[in-house]
Amino acid sequence: MTEFFLTMAILAGLNVLLASGFNMILGYGGLVSVAQPVFYAIGAYTSALLSMKLGVPLPLAMLAGAALAAIASFGVSLPSLRVSGDYLVIASMGFQLGIVHVINNIELTGAASGLSGILSAVEGPGRSWIYAAIVWTICAVVILGIRWLVTGPYGRAITAMRNDEEAFASLGRDAMRIKVTLFAVGSGIAGLAGALYGHYFLFLTPDQFGIFSSATLLTMVVVGGAATVRGPVLGAILLTVLPEAIRFLQLPVSIMAPLQGVLFSALVILFIFLKPEGLFGGTAVGGLEAWQGRGTARSKAGGRV
Amino acid sequence: MLSARGLTKKFGGVVVAQDLDLDLELGRVVALIGPNGAGKTTLFNMLTGFVRPDGGTISFDGRRIENMPAHQRARVGIARTWQRPRLFESLTLLDNVMVSERDYLGESIGNLIFRHGEVERAEDDARDRALGFLDRVGLAARADSLSTRLSYGQQKLVGLARALMNDGRCILLDEPMAGVEGRTIETMKAVVRAEAEAGKAICIVEHNIGFIRDICDSAVFMFNGRIVASGSIDDLLADKRLGALYFGSHA
Repeated sequence: MTEFFLTMAILAGLNVLLASGFNMILGYGGLVSVAQPVFYAIGAYTSALLSMKLGVPLPLAMLAGAALAAIASFGVSLPSLRVSGDYLVIASMGFQLGIVHVINNIELTGAASGLSGILSAVEGPGRSWIYAAIVWTICAVVILGIRWLVTGPYGRAITAMRNDEEAFASLGRDAMRIKVTLFAVGSGIAGLAGALYGHYFLFLTPDQFGIFSSATLLTMVVVGGAATVRGPVLGAILLTVLPEAIRFLQLPVSIMAPLQGVLFSALVILFIFLKPEGLFGGTAVGGLEAWQGRGTARSKAGGRV
Repeated sequence: MLSARGLTKKFGGVVVAQDLDLDLELGRVVALIGPNGAGKTTLFNMLTGFVRPDGGTISFDGRRIENMPAHQRARVGIARTWQRPRLFESLTLLDNVMVSERDYLGESIGNLIFRHGEVERAEDDARDRALGFLDRVGLAARADSLSTRLSYGQQKLVGLARALMNDGRCILLDEPMAGVEGRTIETMKAVVRAEAEAGKAICIVEHNIGFIRDICDSAVFMFNGRIVASGSIDDLLADKRLGALYFGSHA
C-alpha cells in the first residue's frame, strides 16, 4: 500500500512538471499546442537511450533529454509562429503524430513493443521513497524557476504581450521571440519529466505518449488556473489523485473506464464557461481567452480607417 | 526623417490607400485630416508595420523599412499611439510605461541569467524615467493603479506617456484628443506641444480643429484613400471643397 502511494506521489510530481510546462505555453504564452506528450516522450527516450547505449551518466542523460525536447520545440514553433499563432495547433499536431509514429516504427526505440531494460536511477529497498524525494525536489526547483521568470521584467513583458500583442509590438517588443522561448521552456520541462519517468518505471511504449494526454494536461491547467504559478501545480495533484479516489468507489469496469474521460472533458467545459480563472487563479488570461474568442476583438489594428 | 512614397493598399476590392506620399521632418508637426474612412489610420498602420502595403516604399533616417516587422520599426525610432488607448489592463500604470523601454534587457532570459546586475540597473533607470513620464501627464501619484481604474482621457495620457518612454524621434499620434475631456485636455496639449518643441518629427491624426491650429505646422488632407490636398492649415481649412468632402455634402 505504501508503494502505491509513493508511486502516486511520483506520478503527481511528474504531472506537476508536465502541467507547469504546459502552462508556460498555454497560460503564459497564450499558445495552443497539443504536442506536450511528444516532448515528454522525447525526454524519456533520449535519456533512456543515452544512458543504455552510450553509458552517459543519468543526471547528464536526463538534462540532455530536457535539452533535446526544448531544441525540438523550435522545429514546431519557428515555422508556424512566423505565420500566425493559429498554425501552431496544426504544426504541433503534425509533430506529435509524426514523432510518435517514428517511435512506433524504429528499432532503436523498441518500436511498438516498447523499450525495456532502462537503467534505474535508484536501487535498493528505499527506492520509491528516494525517487519521490528526487522528483519533488526537482518540482520545487522548477516551480521556483518559473516563479522567478514570470515575476519581474520578463513577466511584465509576458503579461503585456498577452493583454495586447499589437500595442506590445508597437513599443519595440518582440512577441515572436517571447513565444518561441516560452514554448521551448515548456517543452524542455516536459522533456525533463519524461526523463524522470523512464528511469523509475523502466519501460516506455509509444502508447503512453498519445495525443490524448494533452487533454488531461489541459484539464489540469484549466482547473487549477492558467497563467498562475500554483494553478497547474494544484490542478495536477488534484487530477492525479481524483481518478484514483474514484476507484475506491468500486464501480464496475464498464462504468469506470469511460467515466474518467467524461469527467475530464466535463471539467474543462465547465471551467472554461463558469470559472475560466480556475480554482486557484486570479483572472482569466492567455490561451483560454483566445479559445473564448475574447482575444480576437482587441487584436485588430487601429479601428476606424 | 520619415519618408513614404507611393504607398498603396487594397482590402479586397476596396482601395484604402492609393499612391500616398508623406514626409515627416524633425521639429515639424504634420496634421493628417479627413473624414472617417479616409485611410488615415491605415496609413499609420502601414508606416508602423501593422498593415503591409501592396506597393510603395518607406524610408526612415535613410534606411528602407517597408519590410521591417513592427517591433523593429519601433526600435529604430518610430513611436505611435492608438485611437483607443490600448493599455495593458493587467499591469499597473508604471509597468505599462516601463515595458516600453527601448532596450528592454529583461526581454531575454539569457540577459536575466548572465547579465543580472545590468538588468537590475536598467530596471531602476526605467522606473525613474517611467515615473517622470507619468509625472508629465499628471498621473505619477497613480503609478501603482491598474489602467482600468482610470478615465478614458487619462488612459489616453498613459498611452502617450508609454509612446514617449519609447523615445522615438518620430511620433505618430492617432486622435490624441478623441475622448479626452476636462483637465486632461490641457495636459494633452501641453505634452504634445513640448514634444514638438523638443524637435521630434510628429504626425497627428485629429478631428479637433482647435488642437490642429494650435500645434501643427502643416496638414495633409485625405479622402477615400487618396491625399487630395496638402499645405498650410489655414489654406486647407479655407478650402470649401475640402470642407464639403469632410462633412459629406456634395459640393
